[in-house]
Amino acid sequence: MPNASVAPAVRVHGLWKRFGQQVAVAGIDLTLPAGHFVGLVGPNGAGKTTTLSMVTGLLRPDHGLIEVGGADVWRDPVAVKSRIGVLPEGLRLFERLTGRELLAYTGRLRGIPGAETDRRAAQLLDVLDLAGAANKLVVDYSTGMRKKIGLAAALLHNPEVLFLDEPFEGVDPVSAQVIRGVLERYTGSGATVVFSSHVMELVESLCDWVAVMATGTIVAQGPLAEVRGQAPTLQDAFLTLVGARDRGPGQDLDWLGGASRS
Amino acid sequence: MTGTFVRLKLSVLRNGLRQSTGRRVGWIVGTLVSLLYALGMCVGLVVLRGNEYAPSAAVGVGVVLGVGWAVMPLFVFGGDDTLDPTRLAMLPLRPWPLVRALLVSSLVGVGPLLTFLVVAGAAVSVAGDAASAVAAVLAVPLAVLLCVALSRAVAAANTRLLTSRKGRDLAVLSGVLIAVGAQLVSLAANALTSGHGLERISAFTTVLRWVPPASALDAVRSAGEGSYGLAVAELAWTGAVLALVLVWWHTSLDRLMTRPDASTLQAGPSSVRETRFRLFPEGRTGTVMERQFRYAWRDPRTKAAWATALAVGLLLPLVSAVQDGSVYTACWAAGLLGLQMYNQFGMDGSAFWTVAATISSRTDAYAELRGRALAIAVVGVPYVAVVTIGAALLLGRADAAAETLGLSFALLGALVATGAWASVRFPYSMPQENRFGSAAAPGQTSLAWLSLVGGALTGAVITLPVLGLLIWLHVSGRHGALWLLLPLGCLYGAAFAVLGVRTAAPRLLGRLPEVLTAVSKG
Repeated sequence: MPNASVAPAVRVHGLWKRFGQQVAVAGIDLTLPAGHFVGLVGPNGAGKTTTLSMVTGLLRPDHGLIEVGGADVWRDPVAVKSRIGVLPEGLRLFERLTGRELLAYTGRLRGIPGAETDRRAAQLLDVLDLAGAANKLVVDYSTGMRKKIGLAAALLHNPEVLFLDEPFEGVDPVSAQVIRGVLERYTGSGATVVFSSHVMELVESLCDWVAVMATGTIVAQGPLAEVRGQAPTLQDAFLTLVGARDRGPGQDLDWLGGASRS
Repeated sequence: MTGTFVRLKLSVLRNGLRQSTGRRVGWIVGTLVSLLYALGMCVGLVVLRGNEYAPSAAVGVGVVLGVGWAVMPLFVFGGDDTLDPTRLAMLPLRPWPLVRALLVSSLVGVGPLLTFLVVAGAAVSVAGDAASAVAAVLAVPLAVLLCVALSRAVAAANTRLLTSRKGRDLAVLSGVLIAVGAQLVSLAANALTSGHGLERISAFTTVLRWVPPASALDAVRSAGEGSYGLAVAELAWTGAVLALVLVWWHTSLDRLMTRPDASTLQAGPSSVRETRFRLFPEGRTGTVMERQFRYAWRDPRTKAAWATALAVGLLLPLVSAVQDGSVYTACWAAGLLGLQMYNQFGMDGSAFWTVAATISSRTDAYAELRGRALAIAVVGVPYVAVVTIGAALLLGRADAAAETLGLSFALLGALVATGAWASVRFPYSMPQENRFGSAAAPGQTSLAWLSLVGGALTGAVITLPVLGLLIWLHVSGRHGALWLLLPLGCLYGAAFAVLGVRTAAPRLLGRLPEVLTAVSKG
């Protein structure tokens, strides 16, 4: 169980990122406790991916401090990368490797001994239901299979914190259930999972800690029940938080529907 | 880590070949042919040993190889995905070991082997005594390493440039760069192989021998002639340049790994100035033309393709004019612009469904193809006219302007016609990741070649009657009637273009699902 004396899994202070004129992340402060299943939610374009990329050492921030497990990410990104696992949004993989080869090389490049890599890879492939496709090229994988092999590559070195950007986007229900099972088992052992999503039902059913982002800022963070507050569901709380409550359907689509079609 | 990289590279290569027999056969044939060519070069250079032009030849080979390797990533970028370090961004890899591992794994492959053969041949051609042998042992690996490192550094810098917002707008420059680079390589190769080539290049040798990696090869000669100081200086200079290139690569790599990824960039503001082209008529044809021009301006790949065609189309006649070549090289402008009609739907990619969904009759299909052909004609016709007349004036052959122009227009029309057919019959995908748009999706390369080469040949065959008439008028001495080629060529080209587009339209209507499948790969 989470312990107050343990360093938070992620601590972010005054984080900024600008792309030209647009501010993608506007000075956020965020503390994610270790040992939790954390959901980072927000509408499209809120800055979730940008934040996760900066936290995982994949995108250099303009300003701000990021610590993962007490270590400054941007002072030594390589050291932090060896302690975390990442499933990035774009998920660029070596397309011309088979699933098994991809894991084999990933493990070896992370410095895990060959035999141990292969043992872990075989188990992961098995648990993730990829054993049958282990010798197929990644280029021929479906979206769900790609997410699963990406997850396997991210878990291979048993990271302290796992960051997943939209892990369930475009994934079929069967694969989603498999991914869910693996993640629950992983957090059950005391590790931390941070994942971004805009599917509220999913976040509500999986996470016990939530951070809500909108237009580059954190509008709420804390235990799920606290963020949800009096609202019946997280979805309702979320819509209120991001100010999308009163946005009803427009009055000026009078041509839509009705009898006259052209 | 270096060992793992080499094995990774071999796996990717092997799996790529495992996918299709066609690809395997193509790879084997290509490798054998280039291996034979490199062996030939190697033997040729060795035979040249002792010849007074041998040092110039060695220097020339060095410069051509250096330029070739530097320009290569611009052509075949994305061809090898072990070359793409951004896929390794999640892994805890220190930058310098990563550079070393990437460099070593880059040395594994056919290209470096061919380079090694040619460089070794060049070194032997200028080597004499034991001292020069020592120099050669250092110079050959140094030259090969520099070539490979240069190519990787250019590719990394290029990716970095093209993934930034401003950089993507610079994609247009890549066309010019490719044009100039290709010209340099072909000029140098010509200078080397033509009769007076070696004499011509000897004049520049004093300068060129300081251009790495040629400087390494010249060190072998210096050592053989007893100028040890010069040899050491040349080797040290090459080494210093290699170090600089590696630092440059390292810097690009570091930025590349921590850059915003494409999905984040698209979230940025991309308010585009709204411009309306009021010149185009209402209706599908006008709308299509407008979209084609918007795309030519906004899509980096389309922009680069146009820029390349325009730049090379201008450069070839210009270079020919400088070298007192033939006025007919101006036909290149028409040829390259006409080739823009090829694989029209490939650039649309999976967005082609919006086109497919709105084509419900032959008239729609015809309007779609006509719009695309007209977009090319609107740029192509005045451009070809200016380039052809300009080339004729530069060469002092104003009298030949009319016939050349007629031939050019006939060719342009023929290529638009065959292009329309090839676009419908042999469509193929162009993966987004390839910013230069020159490569087809894996497995479709042969289809791309079939479409392009087959189509261009057919286009040339269609132009033959006009060419035949031109030759006949020349041979039979009817020079007074040569001007007739201008109106005839225009009519011929226009008639074929209209015929091609008209006959391709019903096929397009029937093949919409097949075209969509073919262009949405990758």
